[in-house]
This record gives sequence, structure tokens and C-alpha cells, in this order.
Amino acid sequence: MIKRALIVLLLATSSSFAQQFRTYDWEKKPKLHKLTKEETEESSIGILKKHIVEYSANIMSPEPKRYETEHTITRVNDDKGIARHNTVYIPMYEVKKVVDIKARTISPKGKVTVLNQENIKEVKNVDEYGDFKIFAIEGVEKGSEIEVLYTVEKEFDMYGAETIQSNYKIKNAEFTFITGNLKSNVKAYRTDVKFEDITVDGNNAKSLILKDIPAMVEEEYATPDANKTAVVYQCFPNGQDISQEMFWTNVSYNVGTKFFPSEVSPKVSNDLPIITEGKTDMSTFEKASRVDNFIKSNFNIVKNNNEELSNLDYILENRSASSFGILKAYAHYLKALDVEYEVVITASRFEYKFDPTFFIPSMLREFLIYLPTEKKYIAPDRIEYRVGEAPANILGNYGLYIKRDLGHYFQKIEQNDPNYSQVKRTTDITFNDDIESAIIEMHQEYTGHWSATNRAILNLSSEQGIKEFKEYLTSSGVEDKQEISFSTENNDINQTKYNVPFIVNSKVSSESLIEDAGDSYIFQVGLIIGTQSELYQETERVNPIEMSYPNQYDYTITVHIPEGYTAEGLSSLNLNKSYKNDKGEKLAKFESSYKLEGNKIIITIQEFYKTVEYDLDRYEEFREVINAASDFNKAAILLKPVE
Amino acid sequence: MNKTILLLLLSPFFIFAQDFSDEDFIYLKRHEHIQIKLNEHKFDISNNISEQAEYLTSNKLYFANESMSFDSFRTIEDIDAYTYIPSSDKKIKVDYIETKRDFDNGVFYSDQESKSFIFPAVTKGAITNLSYKEIIKDPHFLGLFRFGTYVPTKSAQLSIEFPKNVTIGHIEFNTKNIDVNFKKEDSPNGYTYTWTANNIQGFQGEDDTESALYYLPHIIVYIKNYTEEGKTYNVLNDVSDLYNWYNSLVEQIDDKDLKKVYDIADNITKNLSAKQEKAEAIFNWVQDNITYVAFEDGLGGFIPRGAASVCDKRYGDCKDMANLLYEMLNHVGIESYRTWIGTRDRQYSYHDVPTPMVDNHMINTAIVENDTIFLDATDSYVPYGMPSGFTQTKEALLGIDKDTYKIIKVPVQDASKSISKVTSEFTLDDTSVKVTEKREMTGYEKVDFISDYTFKKNDQTDEQFLNTNLALGNNKTKYTNITKANFNNKQTPLVLQYDLNIENYAKTIGNKTYINLNIDRSLSKSGLDLEGRKYSKKIDYLFEKQFISHLTIPEGYKVSYIPEELSFENPHYGYKITYSVDGNILTQHKDIYVKTLSIQNDEFESWNSFIKSLIKAYKKSIILEKL
Repeated sequence: MIKRALIVLLLATSSSFAQQFRTYDWEKKPKLHKLTKEETEESSIGILKKHIVEYSANIMSPEPKRYETEHTITRVNDDKGIARHNTVYIPMYEVKKVVDIKARTISPKGKVTVLNQENIKEVKNVDEYGDFKIFAIEGVEKGSEIEVLYTVEKEFDMYGAETIQSNYKIKNAEFTFITGNLKSNVKAYRTDVKFEDITVDGNNAKSLILKDIPAMVEEEYATPDANKTAVVYQCFPNGQDISQEMFWTNVSYNVGTKFFPSEVSPKVSNDLPIITEGKTDMSTFEKASRVDNFIKSNFNIVKNNNEELSNLDYILENRSASSFGILKAYAHYLKALDVEYEVVITASRFEYKFDPTFFIPSMLREFLIYLPTEKKYIAPDRIEYRVGEAPANILGNYGLYIKRDLGHYFQKIEQNDPNYSQVKRTTDITFNDDIESAIIEMHQEYTGHWSATNRAILNLSSEQGIKEFKEYLTSSGVEDKQEISFSTENNDINQTKYNVPFIVNSKVSSESLIEDAGDSYIFQVGLIIGTQSELYQETERVNPIEMSYPNQYDYTITVHIPEGYTAEGLSSLNLNKSYKNDKGEKLAKFESSYKLEGNKIIITIQEFYKTVEYDLDRYEEFREVINAASDFNKAAILLKPVE
Repeated sequence: MNKTILLLLLSPFFIFAQDFSDEDFIYLKRHEHIQIKLNEHKFDISNNISEQAEYLTSNKLYFANESMSFDSFRTIEDIDAYTYIPSSDKKIKVDYIETKRDFDNGVFYSDQESKSFIFPAVTKGAITNLSYKEIIKDPHFLGLFRFGTYVPTKSAQLSIEFPKNVTIGHIEFNTKNIDVNFKKEDSPNGYTYTWTANNIQGFQGEDDTESALYYLPHIIVYIKNYTEEGKTYNVLNDVSDLYNWYNSLVEQIDDKDLKKVYDIADNITKNLSAKQEKAEAIFNWVQDNITYVAFEDGLGGFIPRGAASVCDKRYGDCKDMANLLYEMLNHVGIESYRTWIGTRDRQYSYHDVPTPMVDNHMINTAIVENDTIFLDATDSYVPYGMPSGFTQTKEALLGIDKDTYKIIKVPVQDASKSISKVTSEFTLDDTSVKVTEKREMTGYEKVDFISDYTFKKNDQTDEQFLNTNLALGNNKTKYTNITKANFNNKQTPLVLQYDLNIENYAKTIGNKTYINLNIDRSLSKSGLDLEGRKYSKKIDYLFEKQFISHLTIPEGYKVSYIPEELSFENPHYGYKITYSVDGNILTQHKDIYVKTLSIQNDEFESWNSFIKSLIKAYKKSIILEKL
């Protein structure tokens, strides 16, 4: 009797350890799904995207086992749809064992082609992404459904993330998170649907079921990849429960102890005279700039699996570091020059919206050094940036700031200097005697992010890249221009003063700006500001509005009216569009106006965007400001002989 | 006297230019030494490579990234790499080398891997040194040596050491403007050929130009034959040896279950009687049903996969499609051949270079009612009867039978096959211009449009796509009532129709209204930079654009000015624009043609005069006057 009870007990235990993937399977006899007419007009449609994450307690070890199952059914309707789905890449990152991979195609006529397992290829160490299993889907035709189902066992890791939305519509998406009796947390981003508590084979689980997830689309002034519906989760070893605060404290301690050395390495001492060039009374800004210049002229950031790249001695000896390891070099040089700093961990806002309320290590993607006394940043692995504001792709994201005492705080990374990035441009336009061509003389000053990018392109680009860039710098809207002169100033990428403007002086001639109209001429003055793209609104805007960075343009264009002519049609030069905040302050605007002084038309334009983010509900107003610039592109002046 | 002064003035400048001191990074040397050994018909080939480079500035430290690729035909051994810092006389060795893979957009799976590392401690003045040995496992792949590369090279050298019973072939390309010194050495063990070139400038790519092989100075060496015991054995003596080798690979094609393939072919052609119709139906079927997915896996990169397996999987690469066409066409009684070909990226001829370097592609050639038809199903939209655009002018190597091959040049396709015909009806509504437009495209004009629409449109709406691709009117042009027809690989023209509303396009001042009918400004951005441009301009195909525009003159207006006829005529390119008025209809005829595949450097000025003249013609507005 006792014996029997024991057996029952054993059975019960093992059945509670039964993994869902053992029972989960695809339909024995698959049939094509019914789609609406609109759905068959899309290149492809996700019919099912089911992802199961399962943690199960392990008798052999305190670490739970971890399985992931992915099951997708996708209809492909045209060549583009086939090209999008007919090759499958399964990442083997952290994978201990592939439990099963299978795939099949159901043709429009119902013919089922099952993937031949022998055709699954293994690809090792792909760039930074690790190993993969890859295969091409067999038997796909237009109108087929592609079904892929695989399960992998992964190394135990307390956290994970799964992106649910894709760049095509998904009709049914499910995320199932099975944790049994283990403590866990789960959170969904960018959906109002809530997780439901369910049990799967007797184990506690949470399930999120989403219907008709629209395709994430590429839009201008947006971060679509970071805006997809996604899930993050944590699951702890048996008996443990860790708060978010404990995670952050732990990260701050682990990272901080590496980047706040108590002693400066003797290996940096030889470099110090090169960095300071004998100067002693330097501002904190100059010291930090010199360190930044020195490291970026002597060190390379390496992306490979060499563990030594985060070892300080190796880094200093080989002048090579991982993007993590390079912070150690900065730490020692900065400390040697007595510069106070904090370490910031964040992510590009185009990839991931950093979330201080839910910790997963995969959002710790970018490292910055913050100079609290200067309110400025160093971007150690960004070759184009020098001490200044945070890189444009970081602005607006939250960051974890770690202080010397290893304490931490969170802060939104914003620009301290609102006028950091500006373009000031004065343009003088004259005409040759027969009014065949216009001579455009420009003086331009670029600051902030503009100047960083400009210097980087001129210094790092290929010949063709530099050629295209010159084209862009000398008014991109003019198709047939001939260069008369071109020069730049302050183009050294290594600067030691704050926000030194990058200066361009140029003179070009163009015939295409002048159109003949009988004895008169139409001068396309609007194209002088460079081709401005129109922001469309045919389909409903999906992504919140995010600019690349706050910026301002101030243009003065002087047109010298040729002798014997008068100018007409000037009213198209007056434009005024703005986007105001609650207090009535302009956050974005495009304003152009003109005045006539003798034979000169003087046009003044001011365009600015004061913040990175704009309200999605007021997209229309934002669009009007952006489109005002493309409206100005159309501005033309009629030059008419004096009667 | 004057001449001497000029020389004196010039010479320091030349010297200055030659020491490359305005560069960021140069190669001090790039040397390769190929060693061939032959033992009982077995070749043992290795290439010893040594490179030395100098950082003249610390601007481009990213050059420290080094990567050497290998695959099942070559391995890499004995890598020795270090950085030398002259100022401190320090030598820092590379101590970490990683074997990596790459995902390539064009090839889904490849056996190519690379040995990658980064030179340590590079900075201004650093000199990096690399030497390694490449083991070449197949005597068909000796490869090529570039005297020039993307940055300048002070000393470039290729040498090849081989036994006396081996004959080596070699051919140079683009070496006209550099001095290549060739030296033959004779030793008891064999011969050594050495080519040396010094102070070679850097070659960086330009837009719209041919592939680098057209301008990089380089040399191809290959094993022609060897003699053993009085008998000569050919390796790649001439193109027939290359063919024999290819044929030996083709003989390994898996031909099981061909009945499946034949059934499909029979089914596709069952209601067709003419050979041409059958061939077209089969070609279209393969274009429509086999998706391009490429695998490059050892000799699998050279042997087509079995036709039945390709039909089952519904995917394949160029050689798989070529072989499938071969099986299907011959089965229904159409004479067709597996055909090797190089795309336009490889400028070589089989006669000059009888090595696998010549080609990189495979198609099928069918003989239908005495016409030679080149069938490239990797281009999903090219109509039957036209070769894929990127194979024009290239030699096709047709495998006739076990011992026979034939080389035929793929003809350039006449401009009359690739036409965009645009008819536009203009009406004026105050300063807005409304246009109803119809575009019909044939040949490569159609192919290009569909490919862009299918793969480059991304998330754009039709209106956005048309606005960016056609760029009609101004950047505010609105498109409505867009209809599309014949987005397929058939010979019927693609038809695109839409209505345009272009606000603020006409200018009214006083009683005069100015309108420019050239809303389409094709080629206006194709002027060449005469100062900086180094290499010829590549044109993908010959084409014509024919525009007929009608403007209905609004009531109460008369035409007060129409531009005179403007044209530019040249056998290779030109245009003509004429205006006429009949009643209340003003008509513009505009014809543009480009009938060449390349603009050579000596034609740049002529091409620019064409573009300049065209832009000038585009600038002409008509004037309407209120009565």
C-alpha cells in the first residue's frame, strides 16, 4: 500500500515536471486558413505566432531548466512575401540543446511539403551574433502557408525578451510563460491586453493573447524597431525572489567597481605628457577632451570574443578593447587627470526603450561617461563624437547613472544646451549677364551633432562618400551645379574647445535654377535650401514622433536682381508654421519672410525643433512645420524686364 | 627654356604625390609567392602572402581590422601578424585570431569562413606586418593578384615558382598605365616568374561605374598543362579544358525522379503546339515558381542540384534553374543547353582566360525556330526572348555535348525593346496643374520598375513610391486613382495610370500664366563630374522614353509663347522636344534615347553637353495670356 502511494507520488511529481513542448504539436492534417480579401493582398500575413517560454524546476540542480518553443504559420502571397519568409535563421545563442526543429509548407492546392531535416545547416560564429541553424523552406509557392515549429533547451538565465510585433500583420499572437512554482515577473510593452493566469499541464503560467497586431512600419521621425509590441520576463531559481532594485544595485556594484579604480595604472603614465602637452591649468572640459582625443586616436574598439579585451593591462598594451573594456582605459586616464565622472548605461532609443522599472541585461547596450560638473558626455565607442551632448541615438532614453560611491540613479538623457546643434547660413545669389546661370555663394556654420557628423564624414569616408557629401554641403537641391570654390574650416575631428563650429565656404554656379519664360525668367530660389522631403500622411501614423536631435536653422539668402529686371511673385517666400506647447511657446517652427532693399531681395528663414519628442496626437501640426520647408522648395521668383 | 622651368615646377609636385604623404594609410608592400609542386599527377600548391602597411595618420584606425577568407577549396595556415611602433621600437604580436562567418544577402548558405583579427596598438606611424600561407587545394583556382587596391601600394609583387614540366599561363589587365616589371628565373628545380610594380595609386569605387575589375591593375595566372613521362596533360590549357572540367561536374548531377519534372513540363505545355509558346511557358513557369536561394558549398557551388529536387523544393540558384530549364525544354522537344556565363561584372573572355574566374553565373540557351534564346530564370520579370540585362555583351559557353561546346556572345538588346511611353493630359486649374497620365513600359524598363516596386518599396504607399521614383512635378505632387496592370514577366507592357494634382505649379503674374510641361525630368541628375571622375559610366541597358503631352488651353486664354524645338543628336544618346498648337490643344513631343552601355572617359564631355542641353530644354515654360 505504502509502496503504491510512493509510486503515485513519484508519478505525480514527474507529471508536474512534464514539459509543455512534449505535448505541444502542430495540426496532424494542416489546412489553409481563411483570410479576408485585404489579407490576401498583403505580401505576407502572420496567421499564428506562438512563443512558449518554460522554466521548470530541476531535481538535479538549483537552476531551473529553460525551454523555448516558437510556432509560426505564415501565408505568403507574392514574391516579396516568399522572399521575406522562405529562409529561416534560428539563433543558437545560449542554446544547450535543440529539442526539435520542423517546418512544412501547405500549397494553395493543399499539398504538404515537409522540410527534410538533412537540409538544416549549421553556421558557426556569425559576426557578433553567435551560431545559427538555418534552412530554406521547401515547396513554397505564391499563396502557400509556411509553418515552422521548434523547441530549444537554453542555458538557465533569469531573464529574456521576446518581440511579438513584426513588419507584417499578425492575426494571432500568443506568448505563454510557464514557471510552475518558481517566482517570476513578466511585462508587456505597447499593448493594453493583460496577461491571464492559466495552468499548462498543471503548471502555473501566464498567457498573453493578441489579435490582429498591425505591421510595424518604417516611418520618418520614428524609432519603429524599438516601438514593437514586446514582452520581457524574469524567472528566479527555486526559493529566490529578486526585486528590480536589487538587480540595479547589483549591476551598479559590478560595473562600478570596474570603472572607478582606486589607483591609476602605472601603464598610463607615459601617455600623460602626450595628452596634456605640458599644459597644467586646464579646465575639466579640456582635460576630458584631450583624453577623449587621445583614446580615439590610439585605441580601437574590437567586436570579437577575445576575453582579454576587457582586461586593463591587455587593453593598455594592445590599445584594443571591447566597447565595455574601453571604459577602463577612460577611467584610468580621467582619474590620472583628476576629472570627476559617472558611468552611464543605456541603449539606443532606435533599438530599445530603456526601462528602469524592469531589469533585463539585454537593454544594457551602450556605455557613456558623464561629466557631472560639465553636464556633458563622452561616448567611448563612437569615433565621430567628442566631449559634448549625448549621441543623438541615445537622447530621450533613460540611463542608469553609476556614481563613484557605486550609488546609482536613473535619469532621462537629454540635451543640456538647447542650442547645441545649429546651422547658420548666409547665401548670396547673383546672375551672369545673359541670366543663363546663377552664382551661389555660401558661408555656413554647423555646430553640435551636425558638426560631429560633418567632421566624421570628411575624415573617415571614402572618396566617393566625400564627393557625395560635398554635393550635400553645397545645396543639395541644385542638380547641375558646377563648383567654383569650396573650402572647410575647423574640420579636425579632435577638438579641445566646446562646440567649435564646422565652417564651409563655397561658390557654385547653376543653370537649372533658372527657367525660361519668353523674355522673362523664373528663378527657383526655393531649391537653394536643399531638397526637403515631404512628410506623408496617407495611412494613419503609427509611431510617436521623435526627431534625430533638437536643431535650429538660420538662413539669410540675398538675391541680387539683375539690372534691367524687376522681381515678382515674392509672396510665396512668406511662410509661417509652428507647433506650440501648452504654454503657447513654439517648440517647432518654420518661418520665412523677405524684404526688398534696392535691387536686393533679402530672405530670412528660421526653422527649429526644440525637443526630440512630439505628441503623436498632434502629428498634423508637426507635419505642417516639416512640410513648410518643402513648401519653401517650390518658391520661385519671376524676373521680368523693366518695361 | 620655358619648358625647363615648367618641368622644375612640376617635378617636386610629382615626387610629393608619389610618396603618398597625404594619405591616411598605405601598403608598403603586398607580396604573394605561389609555389607549385607536382608529384604523380597531384598538385601541391601554396601561396605565401606577406603584407606590410603604414598608418600615416591616426584618422583611420579601422584599417587595423584584418580578415582572410577561406572555403573548401583553400585553407589558411601559419598566420604571423604584429604591429611595429618605430618611435618606441616596439613589436606587439597579434595574439587572438577568430574564425568567423558572415551572412551574405546574395548567398543564403556558403562554406566561406574567415580568419579575423585586429592589429594591436595602431596609431600614427605604426607599421603592421602580416604573413600567412594559403593552401590551394584545386589546381583550377590559382586566382588573381591585384597590383592596385583601395589604398596606395608602394611595392606590389607576385611570383610563381613551378617545376619545369608545368606550363603556366598569365594575362594582365589594366596595367597599361603602370610599370610592371616581369622577370623569369631558371633554376635546377624549376622556373620562377616575378611581376613587380611600385608606387601604385589607390583605387576607390565610384557611382554608376563598372566593377573594380575593369580598372584595377591585376594579373590572372593559371596552370595550362604539365608533362609526365613524355605525355602532356592539360589542366586549363584553353577553353576546351575548362569545358571538360565543367562537363565532368555536370555529369555528377543527380538525375533521379526526372519523371516528376517531365510531368510538370508536359502539363505546362499540353495545350500549346508552337515551340516558341512551349519554351515561353516553361521559362515563365520556372521564373514564377522557383525562388532564388543560393547555396555555395564546395563543389556543390558548381554542380547543379537535381531537377526533381529543385521542383520539390521550389527554390534554387542560377545553375539549378538553368539545369531545370534544360531538362524541361529538352523533354518537350526544344533544343536547349546548360550555359556558363560571366555577368557584366567580369569583363573577361573565355578565349583569353580559360579559368573559372571568367564566369559567375549559369543560364540556359534554347534554340527555337532557329533563334538563339538566352533564358535566365533568376530574373523573375525579364520577358521571354530577352536575356537578363546583366548578361548583355557577355560570352555564353554552351555545353553542347560531352566534348563539344560553343561560345556565343549575348547580344546587346536594342533600345526599341525597352521603352517607356508616357502620355499626359494637362489641364489648368488656377495655379494648380492637373494631369492624367499613362505610362507603358516594356523590356528592361518594365523589369526595373517591377523589381524596384517589389523589393524597394518597403512600407511606402503607392503614392510615396511613385513620388520618390518618378519625381514628377514638385515635391508636393499628389497622386490619385493609381492603377497598375501587367506586373508580370509577360511580353505585354506594364501599364501604370494615375492622376496628378500639382499645386502651385503654374505661376500667374499679371495676365500671364507660366507652365512647364516637363514634369518628368529623366536624366537631369546624370551629369558627370569632369574634374574628379576617374572611371567610365556604366549604363544597365539601352532605352527610349517617349512622351506625348497635351495641354487643354483654358477658355479665355491664348498661347502667347511656345519654346522653339530643341534637340541633341548623337548616335549613342540624344533627345528632341517639339511644341505645337492645334485649336485649344497644345502638344509637346519629347523623345529621349540612350543607345550605349557605357560612357567612356573620352565621351564625358559629350555626355555632359547632352545632359546640359536636356536640362536647358527642361527649363522652357510655355506662356498663356488672358484674352
